[in-house]
Amino acid sequence: MSKDRRVVVTGIGAVTSIGGNVPEFWKSLLEGRCGIGAVTLFDASTYRTQTAAEVREIPDGFLTAKEKRRMSRADRMGLAAATEAVLQSGLDLSREDRTRVGVILGGGTSGLLDSEDFFSRHLHGRPARPSRVLNHMPDAITDRVAQHFRLEGIKSTVTTACSSSANAMGYAHDAIMAGWADVVLTGGSDVLARLTYGGFNSLRSVDPGPCRPFDRERKGLSIGEAAGILVFEERGRARRRGAPILAEFLGYGVTSDAFHMTAPDPSGSAGGRTIRAALASAGVNASDVDYVNAHGTATPQNDSAETAAIKNALGARAREIPVSSIKSMIGHCLCASGAIEAVATVLTLRDQLVPPTIHYENADPACDLDYVPNATRDADVRVAISNSFAFGGNSSVVVFGRDA
Amino acid sequence: MANHGYITGTGAVCPLGRTAPEFARRLFAGETAIRLMTPEERGSLQATHVARCDGFTPQPEIPAMKARRFDRGSQFAIIASAQAIAEAGYPISEAPEEIGIALGTGSAGAGALTEFLRVLLTESPEAAPPFHFPNTVANAPASQVSIELKLLGPNVTITQKDPSALNALIFSSIALGSGRARAMLAGGVDEWNPVYAMGFDRVGALRGEKRTSGIVQGEGGFAVLLETQESVRSRGARPLARLSGLAMAGAPCEPYRFTPDLPAIERAVRGALDDAGVSPGQIDLLLPSRNGVTEMDRAEEEVLHRVFAAAPPAVSVKDAIGEMAAAGGGQIVAACRAVADAEGPLSRGPRPRRVLIDSFGAGGNFLAAVMEAA
Repeated sequence: MSKDRRVVVTGIGAVTSIGGNVPEFWKSLLEGRCGIGAVTLFDASTYRTQTAAEVREIPDGFLTAKEKRRMSRADRMGLAAATEAVLQSGLDLSREDRTRVGVILGGGTSGLLDSEDFFSRHLHGRPARPSRVLNHMPDAITDRVAQHFRLEGIKSTVTTACSSSANAMGYAHDAIMAGWADVVLTGGSDVLARLTYGGFNSLRSVDPGPCRPFDRERKGLSIGEAAGILVFEERGRARRRGAPILAEFLGYGVTSDAFHMTAPDPSGSAGGRTIRAALASAGVNASDVDYVNAHGTATPQNDSAETAAIKNALGARAREIPVSSIKSMIGHCLCASGAIEAVATVLTLRDQLVPPTIHYENADPACDLDYVPNATRDADVRVAISNSFAFGGNSSVVVFGRDA
Repeated sequence: MANHGYITGTGAVCPLGRTAPEFARRLFAGETAIRLMTPEERGSLQATHVARCDGFTPQPEIPAMKARRFDRGSQFAIIASAQAIAEAGYPISEAPEEIGIALGTGSAGAGALTEFLRVLLTESPEAAPPFHFPNTVANAPASQVSIELKLLGPNVTITQKDPSALNALIFSSIALGSGRARAMLAGGVDEWNPVYAMGFDRVGALRGEKRTSGIVQGEGGFAVLLETQESVRSRGARPLARLSGLAMAGAPCEPYRFTPDLPAIERAVRGALDDAGVSPGQIDLLLPSRNGVTEMDRAEEEVLHRVFAAAPPAVSVKDAIGEMAAAGGGQIVAACRAVADAEGPLSRGPRPRRVLIDSFGAGGNFLAAVMEAA
């Protein structure tokens, strides 16, 4: 791997329940706005809970009606975020060598919402249009983004559940470092579906009200949906073309817990290992970390295990720095959570502001760090990490730094 | 000349054999596992053929009581991975954080997903069986392998349609090159699922009574152990093969359509050869992407005709085990065995020194690799 190559973020895009673009999303995060409300995408009345963080309006006006008909909801959200990110990066893709521009995303539910309609009609013996399942595969969105921007470089879709898009960013970083590409559109887009909604409900992991990360009374997660896309670019070329450099992607850690399919290692040793691998990859010390953008799902197990993991890896530093979970506002966006939380982390580095953990009222002895309760805070943040943990023990931690 | 790592072990559970050597022997003997579907498998499909791991049981490797916890895909993956580790003689427990896994898949989790949804959609969300939900994720097989074999290193699952397993090989080579691991299990896994088969049939992807162009679906699990040169040296392992060339090219296309994009295909094929630092004349065996999708097969043939003055002998893996995201894993395993095993893969001529693998998929995804004798 070439030592003189570095990877920076030159564009970001976001579509969330609290804002359909980066400025709106960031303003809402800083105001502590909650996007968790009633489910409208399907009839949730027969489910155990009825709330989620839905995207109310997708800013996809740039697509033709015909294009929209062919696309899944995840495609439209992902393309809206990608368009915003590419615009900000100032890249003129028509002038680039498009074989050097890749797309590496986290794969999520993709067109599952439509596939579920198809499957339901099929199961009830009603006619079902096969076009409804065309976008079923999780990598559809990756091809969609490449198609939209006429890209001819490498493509990949990482499908590691809730760490998908964090791992996708890591893959994108390594691919640029190893010379497979110079620019990669990375991140992910994931939307609400009956499978995931019903699944987490069946595991009794969903809070009937808005989720309360790190609170003693936390009852589980709130499911959300979002698209977060980042333009990763080789730093030398980004500087030469005078691109806006929002942050540097310093490195990442990817590990197996090898512990349990659904439960985190309560001791924090597995998660701590991932954080240490990330810091080693980034070439920074625990004492350099100024902020942790937490996985913070608000399940009883995750938040205490994650707290233990942060303490395990960062030692004394864990008690000196802010740790916050924006899932308290946008819910758990599953395969897009790593990406949208990375967008927020980049904004924290840019503006030196840490978004809060809202709905936080009761201290939990098992969660004893500074979770930035309920109000945004000024902070000197030079290095930040963002955690993503997943079913299967697929853990991933990404490290961003201010460009220097 | 690139060196992406050495292969020291192979594993396969597939329609043409339950170990890698058995699969390769039968493949190179010209056997195929493609057969007519049973009436139960076929239902109302126009598709007629399939290749499945008929009679597969996870015993003896996984005891019956334990096997019930794993879906079919996870069973394939665990057994194939264990075979690769055993052949390599790799000491996982000495440094478990230095070995990881990357698997490609298109269908992992399909059984659990369709069963969970069937109950949710026909009975009620509250009736849907919770134990199925964790297995609906595509990363279940790779994660079950990591839990069973106690691998603590990188763990990813990748989907890129038919070339998924080659992408997993690229991820693995990058993971070794960047120092994230000393060894990676790389491969693919897929399970045949009747609901997915119905979906693929309805969208026109499968060959059958009404369609002459399309794939025959397969299933199975494949893994190879890819190690750094340093790892191989320090433990005195004897490699089976060296991964010397990798390339990927994209073409803008609807995710579910095939684009017979000649320049992109040529970029992938020449890219792998250039990466390996070899000329077309140095390739002794070809494992083509050919899978029965007429326009893609023709495009591949045309590009190979352009690249090779005299085309090397070709063996179609997908004509033997069907097409799937994991099929590239079958090609990788077959390439390793072809350059490693004493009995040459072909009835005539010497054992090949270099094998070119093509693996193309819908949505404009073109991957290629070169595997050499170690």
